[in-house]
Amino acid sequence: MDQDFAHHLSEVAVSVELETPDMTLNIGPQHPSTHGVLRLIAKIAGERAFDVKPVIGYMHRGYEKLSEVRTYPQITALINRIDWVSGYANEIPFIVAAEKLMEIEVPERAQYIRLILTEMARISSHLIFMASYPLELGAATPLFFALRERERVLDLLESVTGGRFHPNFNRIGGVKPAVGSGSTTRKQIQDLPAGFFTQTKDAMGKVLDVCEELETLVAGNEIFLARTKGIGLLPPEVAAAYGVSGPNIRASGVKFDIRKVESYLPYDQFDWEVPVGENGDCWDRWWVRLTEIRQSASIIQQAVDGIPSGPLQAKVPKVIKVPEGQTYVRAENPKGEMGYYLVSDGGSGPYRLKIRTASFSNISILPWILEGILIPDIIAVMGSLDFVLGDVDR
Amino acid sequence: MTTSPSDTDTAAHPLQEYADSVAEAVGGTAEIHFDTVKVVVDPSNWVSAFQTARDRLDLVFFSWLSAIDWSNEVAAGDPLSEEVEERFEVLATVGDLTEGNRVTFSTDISKEKAEIDSLVEVYVGANWHERETAEMFGIQFAGHPDLSKMYLPDEFIGNPLRKSFPLLSREVKPWPGTVDVEAMPEGPSVENPEA
Repeated sequence: MDQDFAHHLSEVAVSVELETPDMTLNIGPQHPSTHGVLRLIAKIAGERAFDVKPVIGYMHRGYEKLSEVRTYPQITALINRIDWVSGYANEIPFIVAAEKLMEIEVPERAQYIRLILTEMARISSHLIFMASYPLELGAATPLFFALRERERVLDLLESVTGGRFHPNFNRIGGVKPAVGSGSTTRKQIQDLPAGFFTQTKDAMGKVLDVCEELETLVAGNEIFLARTKGIGLLPPEVAAAYGVSGPNIRASGVKFDIRKVESYLPYDQFDWEVPVGENGDCWDRWWVRLTEIRQSASIIQQAVDGIPSGPLQAKVPKVIKVPEGQTYVRAENPKGEMGYYLVSDGGSGPYRLKIRTASFSNISILPWILEGILIPDIIAVMGSLDFVLGDVDR
Repeated sequence: MTTSPSDTDTAAHPLQEYADSVAEAVGGTAEIHFDTVKVVVDPSNWVSAFQTARDRLDLVFFSWLSAIDWSNEVAAGDPLSEEVEERFEVLATVGDLTEGNRVTFSTDISKEKAEIDSLVEVYVGANWHERETAEMFGIQFAGHPDLSKMYLPDEFIGNPLRKSFPLLSREVKPWPGTVDVEAMPEGPSVENPEA
């Protein structure tokens, strides 16, 4: 070989070795896997991402400030829009907090209706996950199965509340009388729509069937297994320190569900299990949610069988004024712990309403969990955390 | 501050014993507000209280951190019915992952020197919550790695959740309230529901 050429080659090799500047990769804010508008700024070295910085705030609507200038009944319409894939579930902890301060005993039938609809919201939220998560990993078919059954559940929610996503159905002291009884002069209060219970039982049977179908479709798929098993490991102690809650921390083996320890709805009346994962990887997070759909369907079936008769509302004053006091009420929402710290000064609106949402804490883990991860796995891990940007930014 | 009416009953609240034990361990005072255990600590004790809570009381789960602006002059919303001492109350809730215990710690800081030590060293999850509180209330967290803005544009001036911060849309056009509500035909009027 020509000596000059050999020298030249060695120089090239050296310069290639030396000049490897980090590349900055911008993901989002409009990327299908971000479920809203989340932006990630990542440093890329080779095929791996480092120093991932989530940028949030694109969906910030200032609900905590707006709550200070609104009355209690008006606020439920706002908070429906926090986590819009399970709008119904957002209302519960706020309404329960206000009822606590007013010392209102909610009739049992209203509590059962709340519970049934909350679990429906959970099923619909988890079915969205069952549809979108395999899609993000390249499997389109589960979407059609999951969304078909979700539509059935949403139809039931709509038949009771009049809204698919933003039901605005809870009132302080109970639930809104069903469609067609809005007049203040009408004394007779209508109950649930005719045939609701039979349709619900039918729909829950179908939801259980689709869980089987999804399991055969997805759990046996070698590509899905390769993309999720052992990816995005989340140890329980890290998850707890970051405030990660809900199915995400249960997938890490923490057997903790707020429905079991707090009494905001009568969950203790039913026989159900808290599913937990083993390793805390993406696969476990998928599996925990699938199992939770089955548990929710079973809770709804039991609640439909055992629902007591009685009024839908407790006696409440016409103008709602919440006595002075403060309390924190939390609930197990589909995404995790959602709670409201309500401070009242005796007025018709809160003095301060702190909204604790699950997705905010759940994605604060991103810089930790995405450190040193392969670029395609970013999508797999983000999808498995199942967040909604409305729930992050409020 | 009011206590729950159940406190005034002869029987102690079922959470009283737990609240007292937490307060004793961290060196604060226990209050129970409608089934919420609140432990008030001194600002100088803030970080060490959480250290005790995490290491000795098994409260490993960081739920949230925020603040309340106790203010006699409000630019948006209803003013307080009674005069209060002007201050920020910083609140943070932690819980366990077994029994369902949860404790809200609280401390008061002055508005002139709105600063408190950061909890990031104890609970790493406090990072984003403190950033949000710093942005919304203008409270400084000493020892926090990055208090840059979270929601608002970088050039935004002001702290929206302070009571002195006006809600601009309300300034431009007052809330219509009852003005646009018409009484139901042949029904009781809105102004006088009992008629």
